[in-house]
Amino acid sequence: MPLKILVTAKRVEDYESKIKVNPQGTGIVAEGLKYKINPFDEIGVEEALRLVAKHGGEVVVVSVGTKDVHEQLRHALAMGATRAVWVNHTGPMDQLGVAACLQKIVEKEKPDLCILGKQAIDDEQSQVGSYLSEWLGWSQATFASKEESLESDAEKSKTPAIKLAADGKSITVVREVDGGLQTIESPLPCVATTELRLNQPRYASLPGIMKAKSKPIEEHTPAALGVDMTPKLTVTRMAHPPARKAGIKVPDVAALVEKLKTEAKAI
Amino acid sequence: MNPLVSDAFVDFLVADVLDVEGLCRLPKFEGHGKETIGPWFAACRRVAREVLAPGYRAIDAEPPRLVDGRVRVHPKMHDAWRELVGLDVIAAVHQLPLTVTTLSSAYLMAGNLSAYGLAGLTAGAAHLIEAFGSGAVRELFLSQLRSGEWAGTMALTEPQAGSSLADVTTRARPVAEGTFLINGAKIFISGGDQDLTQNVVHLVLARIEGSPAGTKGISLFAVPRRRPEGDGLVDNDVHVSGVIHKIGWRGLPSLALSFGDEGDCHGWLVGMPNQGLRCMFQMMNEARIMVGVNAAATASVAFHESVAYAKDRKQGRALGNADASSEQVPLTAHADVRRMLLRQKAIVEGSLALLGLTARFADLSVHAADEAERTRAKWLLDLLTPIAKTFPAEKGFESNALALQVHGGYGYSSEYLPEAWLRDQKLNTIHEGTTSIQGLDLLGRKVVAGGGAALLALVDEMEPDLAKSALDVSVLRAAVGQVSEVTAALGARGAEGDVEGMLGHSADFMEAMSVVVVGWVWTKLSNAVAGRDDDFSKGLRTAAQYWLVTEVPRVDALLKLCVSEDRSYLDLQPAWL
Repeated sequence: MPLKILVTAKRVEDYESKIKVNPQGTGIVAEGLKYKINPFDEIGVEEALRLVAKHGGEVVVVSVGTKDVHEQLRHALAMGATRAVWVNHTGPMDQLGVAACLQKIVEKEKPDLCILGKQAIDDEQSQVGSYLSEWLGWSQATFASKEESLESDAEKSKTPAIKLAADGKSITVVREVDGGLQTIESPLPCVATTELRLNQPRYASLPGIMKAKSKPIEEHTPAALGVDMTPKLTVTRMAHPPARKAGIKVPDVAALVEKLKTEAKAI
Repeated sequence: MNPLVSDAFVDFLVADVLDVEGLCRLPKFEGHGKETIGPWFAACRRVAREVLAPGYRAIDAEPPRLVDGRVRVHPKMHDAWRELVGLDVIAAVHQLPLTVTTLSSAYLMAGNLSAYGLAGLTAGAAHLIEAFGSGAVRELFLSQLRSGEWAGTMALTEPQAGSSLADVTTRARPVAEGTFLINGAKIFISGGDQDLTQNVVHLVLARIEGSPAGTKGISLFAVPRRRPEGDGLVDNDVHVSGVIHKIGWRGLPSLALSFGDEGDCHGWLVGMPNQGLRCMFQMMNEARIMVGVNAAATASVAFHESVAYAKDRKQGRALGNADASSEQVPLTAHADVRRMLLRQKAIVEGSLALLGLTARFADLSVHAADEAERTRAKWLLDLLTPIAKTFPAEKGFESNALALQVHGGYGYSSEYLPEAWLRDQKLNTIHEGTTSIQGLDLLGRKVVAGGGAALLALVDEMEPDLAKSALDVSVLRAAVGQVSEVTAALGARGAEGDVEGMLGHSADFMEAMSVVVVGWVWTKLSNAVAGRDDDFSKGLRTAAQYWLVTEVPRVDALLKLCVSEDRSYLDLQPAWL
């Protein structure tokens, strides 16, 4: 049974960029930063492509932001996504606004399954997937992972880790939980979010990059979707973690014990 | 993480020096531009950093093995090959400007030269068959080579002939229209067998029976390891007779091969009979540029490793500080360490830019709209090719040695990678035409080509950049004039029949030309950041200044040697050694 899968492609700072907090402590310095698709979202794109390769169907990729997000949408299209949806928004936004936009797009597109990154590597809120499932009234399968390693033959043959039932009405997801794995079954439609160990995303190939140029990107605006993007959250302060202080030498064990008791309060 | 090659520098070359956008407006590259080239670089960078580089050490440590007559490569070579084929690197060489693939392949070679080396050879073989093969030969081999399903090699060298292709003795006996039975032995065949692809197509130089002696009697053949017959492939009597144990490039098998031991080795003629060497030169010239890129890439990865190490490693105190209780300083605080880092930067980035410019002339020589522009670009390409191969290889070896030196005692420890990269680099002054051969090619053929038109075109190319420079380029300008004078004087000797007098100092001439050309390249780079005051621009200006002041003055001495009466090694008798 062909599947329609909706995936996301958030534009985030490249983790190899040097992130600096601005002098006012209100945000980060954007100058000189590079951007890429949120790695967890990229894993979602990969899983969707594998599912569609196996069962047929299409993968629709969504992003919210300025025209800059076309770079991330094109990346997902070059990997193999069928088409893209762009919610054109300039200015601040928070996870509630993004989840509301996604809800509206899902209501239009009516996919069988949404696969989102479990979190974005910029603000690490880890909330959009859960809001989306709640507002849609769908079940959620968070932290999707798998038993096989990323070195396994199943991974090399690009087998999807999310399993679709024979009747096409439910999926089985192996979740990563504290200290182990949990296998759950969820009816479709459903919202799944990805763990790092779900798969190793493919690289965009030259033919993929060429094809992506002619794939459509459909534009929406929050206003037309009926979404108020005014953030409900405000960032009050940003700071680097305190630098580690140099250690000191103590003359003997008694002095060490004394310091552990009185200064470190460790014993 | 080691970036392998600097993204900022490559992006700068693409945008501000090589006018890749302009190349993309040529009809051949229609459909390409920022939106395809940006993602292409991004994909190559990721494959290089995430797949190729992490496998490098293991592949270097465990070279290919010969098992039951077949070569088995390291399992990580299989991972690397799968991703390279997945990117479509072989077909990309024919679709994107060479200017782009030259720079993108630098990442892939810095990550794993052996895996990309096989892809590069396969791309060259495919291009040769495309250019000179008959319809039937293209039909048999082209699509499988392009897709990476099969791999290609160049099989020129023979044990008794080495670099001397005039002495090739492999024989070809006609059996049917366009097909021949091949018999002979070849050596140092890179990628001559492996278990990555289901077939290998060797491009073999051989003599058709009755052909004249010397290079005039050499023809080119496509000789597969397994030949198409019926619906499948059958063994084509090509055998591995030995695996060469190498100092570097250890992942890529280098083999001795025998063709037709059982009289059943079929080869397909590529191009016209007795025109083999002319055809092969296309692939050899492409391979020479690829070796140059490899040399630049191998120096680059070691350069970045040594920069990171020198910034991090604390040792000693600043000159004049005798207080042993004060904190130690990073290696970069020592002037001589900074010298070693700056010298590497000048060599690495000078080489990459030179290769980018050479590749740009290659693109224009075929695809420029105007015929005069194509001709001019071809002269410049031909003239720069031996330099673009030799400078990165020779100076890259020095650069790799400096990267090792910066690591101190750890540098000569095999726990650290600089020693492996140094070993890899040494091959680059030898394969695809040794430095000696490149020197003879440059002085004997290239600078005097078209009655000096090629050299004139190069001087014309340099002049506007020198005129614009804010740096003191007076010594460089004098050196450019001196190159023209010395070339004319040596050309006159050659015309009078004094070949030894012309070519005796070809190695010195090559070095002088390289220093001048790279001086021009650095001038061009510093012009492109004129008026900018960021760290990147300061770095480029400093390296340019360094090259102009420390290297360019040597040109005078080198060129004087070329026309001098020095006969030290010309008259040397082996018995005196």
